[in-house]
Amino acid sequence: MQDSFDVIVVGSGAGGAPIAHRLVQAGHNVLVVDKGPLLRPHYEVPGERSDFRRDEIYASSTEKILHVPGLANTGVSYYSSHVEPDINDEPHVYKGPDGRDYGTIEGYTAQVVGGGTQLYGAVSLRFTPTDLRLKSFNDNRRKPIAHDPNGDIRREARDWPIDYRALEPYYVMAEEMVGINGTRENQQKPFSAVKYQKPLAPNPISSYAHDGMVELGKRLGPGIAPYRTPLAVITEDHPWSGRQIPRNAKGEPDPEAGKTSYVNRYGDPLGLKSSTWVALLSPIKDKPNFAIWPNCVVTHVVSEGAKVTGVRLLDPGGVERFVKAEIVVVACSAIESVRLLKLSAMADAEFDRRINRNPLLGRYFLTHCFGGARALMPKRFDKSKALDADWATDCCATEEFLEENGLWAGAAIYNNTSDQALPLSLFRTYGSQDLDTLWNGFMGATDMRGDRFIDFLDAEFGRGLSISFMANQVPQFDNRIELHPQIEDKWGRPVAYVIKGWHEHDRYLMDVMAKQCGDVLRYGGDPVGHDYQIEGQGSIYMAENALARMANHILGGARFGSDPNDSVLDPQCRVWEFDNLYVTDGAFMPTSGGANPTLTIQANSFRVADHLLTRI
Amino acid sequence: MAVRIFEPGDDYVLNHCTKYLSRAGLPPAPGDDARNESFRARIAEAWRFPIIGFMRDADADPDLNLVTFVYKTSPGDPRQVQVLGTFSELYRSISLAPVRFEDQDTGYRALSVGIPKAQVHTYKYVVDGRYVLDPINPQRVILGNGRPWSRFFTDGYLQPLVLEPWEIRLLYRLVEQILPFRGKEAENFLKRYYFGLNREQRKTDMPKAFRLDDSVGEVNAIDKFLAREEAHRLADYQLCLRQIDRALRRQNPVLEPADMPAQDFVELYEKMAKSHGSGDNPIPGWNYDEYGNPSFFLYILRRHAVTAAFAHPKYAGNVGAAGWAYLSERYSDPAAGTLFDWRPAIERPIGTSAYYR
Ligand SMILES: Cc1cc2nc3c(=O)[nH]c(=O)nc-3n(C[C@H](O)[C@H](O)[C@H](O)COP(=O)(O)OP(=O)(O)OC[C@H]3O[C@@H](n4cnc5c(N)ncnc54)[C@H](O)[C@@H]3O)c2cc1C
Repeated sequence: MQDSFDVIVVGSGAGGAPIAHRLVQAGHNVLVVDKGPLLRPHYEVPGERSDFRRDEIYASSTEKILHVPGLANTGVSYYSSHVEPDINDEPHVYKGPDGRDYGTIEGYTAQVVGGGTQLYGAVSLRFTPTDLRLKSFNDNRRKPIAHDPNGDIRREARDWPIDYRALEPYYVMAEEMVGINGTRENQQKPFSAVKYQKPLAPNPISSYAHDGMVELGKRLGPGIAPYRTPLAVITEDHPWSGRQIPRNAKGEPDPEAGKTSYVNRYGDPLGLKSSTWVALLSPIKDKPNFAIWPNCVVTHVVSEGAKVTGVRLLDPGGVERFVKAEIVVVACSAIESVRLLKLSAMADAEFDRRINRNPLLGRYFLTHCFGGARALMPKRFDKSKALDADWATDCCATEEFLEENGLWAGAAIYNNTSDQALPLSLFRTYGSQDLDTLWNGFMGATDMRGDRFIDFLDAEFGRGLSISFMANQVPQFDNRIELHPQIEDKWGRPVAYVIKGWHEHDRYLMDVMAKQCGDVLRYGGDPVGHDYQIEGQGSIYMAENALARMANHILGGARFGSDPNDSVLDPQCRVWEFDNLYVTDGAFMPTSGGANPTLTIQANSFRVADHLLTRI
Repeated sequence: MAVRIFEPGDDYVLNHCTKYLSRAGLPPAPGDDARNESFRARIAEAWRFPIIGFMRDADADPDLNLVTFVYKTSPGDPRQVQVLGTFSELYRSISLAPVRFEDQDTGYRALSVGIPKAQVHTYKYVVDGRYVLDPINPQRVILGNGRPWSRFFTDGYLQPLVLEPWEIRLLYRLVEQILPFRGKEAENFLKRYYFGLNREQRKTDMPKAFRLDDSVGEVNAIDKFLAREEAHRLADYQLCLRQIDRALRRQNPVLEPADMPAQDFVELYEKMAKSHGSGDNPIPGWNYDEYGNPSFFLYILRRHAVTAAFAHPKYAGNVGAAGWAYLSERYSDPAAGTLFDWRPAIERPIGTSAYYR
């Protein structure tokens, strides 16, 4: 067993894989450690059968019961994905509105090589230049910020230590190397180069979303039109990763093969979805200077003074091992990275002193303000043939829109088609929009039976369309990740404790954005009167378990910045008091951006890789 | 019967083991039943063992499952671990091999064999010559001689495992009230659909399924969930079906419950939906000391019924994909054809995907 590497990357998802890829290509010795299994696409398996299955029970399992003692919801049912950690083994705990502790499946991305990018919806939007300078924007705005009586936003907003221009080349790199399809036109962000693959024809139901977004853009001012949502799914052969579109009987590429609706929350057996495994790690897997250890959990980062010397891990058999490295990159997904650093500090006073030189580790934990609207459209379509998000618009991300509405930050808006496209997902998400409450709506709707069951199917099947927004959450010092004082995982290590709430402005912002999403459907569903009847609009803060919800976007907790007293990481994502320890998952973000985060995590990791190449 | 051994590789085994089985502390000694029981109770999804996987090579053996036996011990443990079971000659136990990671013993011992789909088997491990139950797999049966054995079943098994025949008959009647397969139109559809399945599929699926005239085999799948993934719900079924039987007899003293007209089931269903406890619209004949919340059982049954009817056919409901086919026929458009064209996404022979196996 090799026990010494140039670089160890902990976590193989969006934050870890780009660094491993670049450093290995440059000839450095890299070990990637992931606690999840390595599940492969069909073309890497002898016999061509992937471990990812198009099986709705893989996305959300049969019933399990939360057994962890001492939680307010011990005994509840939950239904998790085959690659989520089991919450009885490794619970995340959050503080509920009543001050009691609850277990949740929220807050995990996925525990598998590729991390959350195996399951993700693959929406790969850039942040806007304004997203990276929310302090400057709000300091210099013309009109007041609404719903911020104590001036929290001006106090807590931060500019990123790098501006959009510095990040932009790495967006281009990520778009090219990861493999993303989309269109550039109408996006309200500067592009130095366009590397998108061609999008496939949208699902026909999305035309309502398109038309509604066009109308919304007109009404909001300068007529900003929609664009095809950039999706990390290849539609053409991808030379960077060697992936090919499947060939049909005539030998022609058949990119439509990817349209199945087994997309969001499913690993892709064909490897067309650009997970970090197929896009970045599989292409280097045979290099002698690359090693990947799946099924190994890193328990501690080990240091001597300002130098990190390596990591301690538990191998697949549960045996503890120490592995040496010149540089350690932590990218476990923000909650787990914060937890790993805190556990390392618990084990070593000097590590503790350095990582906690200010009180910021775990603080300013962020997710997104999100929500949207849903309607049953006038016509029925085959929603089972879709990649999911077809159209997006930036019309709610412009500075004019923010000024006009008293908002501190903007949002991306896009449509979803694959939700409720398959039969079980239609039933289990009926009346419950999140993972902790799956099935509850359907189970309790006892009058939906026999003919009324058919009426429900007639009304809903193939007709649902939803529009989502993804917006910045106000950073708050009290929103934080701690170690839970009592509850431990299956290894006897304290679990992550999530304590967070919504700011008054968050609620206001979500109401404004949800209304825009509703309008997209009102306008799109009724091209004449622009007043189509919708099912509802709303946001996450209204949900019963609003404090648990994280949209799978796990950000902040170790923010980067230029001032060592105001951040955990320096502008290169290095922990200030360590010479060679980096954190590159979503934890680095000081603000959460007005769009889904993964492309930005990847772009930033490519940027950090360039920095690392200058020092090793 | 000679069993075929396969070698999917140590990675394959570890990919299935680490998440579920690895944890602090060593497994107790074999035979120490009490400590093994509490060890197993801490494993979140012990039911996943043995691993009922699919053959790596899709085309070579379409009728086999890849079944992987896993025994957990500590690295370097020199003891021989073998498995003996009805899937092979009962006088010949087969050795499990150490599973290695980066050339080190992980403490896992594993064996993968090809076993035909739709079968049930019993087995024991032989650890240094001593016969022991599988300390992980919670499925157990007491055989004729009064001794417990570990049990597993492969995909698409269509005989009842944990429910009694009278419970199954009653359940079909209840499930009928929930799902849409009961009406004339749906019944005609199902008859036509099953008749239209190709001979190969009919040969494999039809004889095993029960009551396919007005169902898609939901209760078969529920029985399987209760035997494995949701064994924790078996008690709910056993307790409630007794109450349901009693309540129906109270409602209609003339007929056997399974033979009662649909109206009797609807009436009871409505009563159950309204009764959340003994003080809340009590149902005559229902013993609330035995099962306190009739509506809660209805919730479980609703979830199980749709899961069974519309999940992948490997779970033994949705026989021949009839549930999906029902949706696909009901929702179609004269111009575009079906509006639920599920086949191209799904592997052959159930679906038609050219790429996904
Ligand atoms: C269903 C779903 C849909 C999503 N849709 C989108 C979308 O459309 N667009 C978008 O931008 N984002 C989406 N996301 C979010 C996206 O997956 C994450 O933003 C992204 O993966 C985060 O990258 P990361 O590097 O922070 O963590 P991850 O990609 O999750 O990687 C972390 C890895 O670290 C491993 N790990 C954790 N702890 C340890 C340890 N102690 N030792 C070893 N390994 C460890 C984990 O197993 C995991 O593989 C979605 C997520 C989910 C689950």
